[in-house]
Amino acid sequence: MFLIDSTSKVAETISQTKAGAPAYCSNFLPAPRKLQGWITHGELSCEQRDGAALFLRKDRGFWHLYFCAANPTSLQQAVTAFPVLRAEPVVVDLVGQEPALAGLAGLFAAAGFGLYNRLFRMARIVSPSTPPAAAPDPHVVLASQADCQPILDLLVRSFDCRAEQIPMLYEIEAAVETGQIWMARCGGALAGLLFYETQGLTSTLRYWLIAPEFRAQRFGSGLMRTYFAEHPAVRRFLLWVIADNNNAIAKYRHYGFAPDGLVDQVLANEMIRP
Amino acid sequence: MNALADLLKGIRPEFDFTVSRDFIADGMLDSFDMVMLVATLDKTFGISIAGVDIIPENFQNLDTIAALLNKYGIQP
Repeated sequence: MFLIDSTSKVAETISQTKAGAPAYCSNFLPAPRKLQGWITHGELSCEQRDGAALFLRKDRGFWHLYFCAANPTSLQQAVTAFPVLRAEPVVVDLVGQEPALAGLAGLFAAAGFGLYNRLFRMARIVSPSTPPAAAPDPHVVLASQADCQPILDLLVRSFDCRAEQIPMLYEIEAAVETGQIWMARCGGALAGLLFYETQGLTSTLRYWLIAPEFRAQRFGSGLMRTYFAEHPAVRRFLLWVIADNNNAIAKYRHYGFAPDGLVDQVLANEMIRP
Repeated sequence: MNALADLLKGIRPEFDFTVSRDFIADGMLDSFDMVMLVATLDKTFGISIAGVDIIPENFQNLDTIAALLNKYGIQP
């Protein structure tokens, strides 16, 4: 296994795997900026096997596995033969329409991975008939660099980092720099936050969270109202939600989100699953 | 080409795919959408787009998607 030190090394490795491979399969679809961050911070390593490349990204005491393979057989051989996948805690995300994931899920099951959690994607489509966004909440403000550590602490406290891709501190700092985190304060404390990423006409709501002691005080609705109001040009809002989090799903439905057919099966090896 | 624009409109009615030269940069398609679009193209045209072709460059605009389909013998 070797440490990845450049995006060109990633591209080269993927190209080698793809070459002349009509049954190519992969779950490695990182946004360029995200990929650069992982490399800069020494988080991404690679194991190259015959017809397959396995990328491991270091997270908080565990690894995310990404793969590119010429075909499912090469992937199965690589996954079975790579001892790190039995010795270290590892999760792998399979994203797509559910029926299409069965083959890959079976392949990973044979290598000791099982379902750890399941998320699905919800979309809110803005059409000419959508009522205009309400005015932003004047109590909601953009987060500053001084807020980064409290934001990270709240995220880590509130979410499962193995299933919900909690950002690193440097990612939060970068998001604050570009105005991607709104927050609500109460008496100087961080009451809640809304963290998003916008690309053209689509905005992805990454986290919308109110600290337990500040719930039912309308901080959440203020954040959501501000988010919509500040994105008048966006036509599609997206988010991922844990499939059995009925409370969150009901709230998202209230704001006009509905499942769009994509699921994320989070599989974990036996070092993580009970 | 109109058929292709109509097909995309059917998948993502919120966007006008005829006005963009870069669906990815304009936020009209992301990597996950590409996976869904491939499933629709496979079903609609009775083809099986290879994984090696599921790359952003092939889904950048109507011309690049048409070129991809041409590769599979489809004239959209």
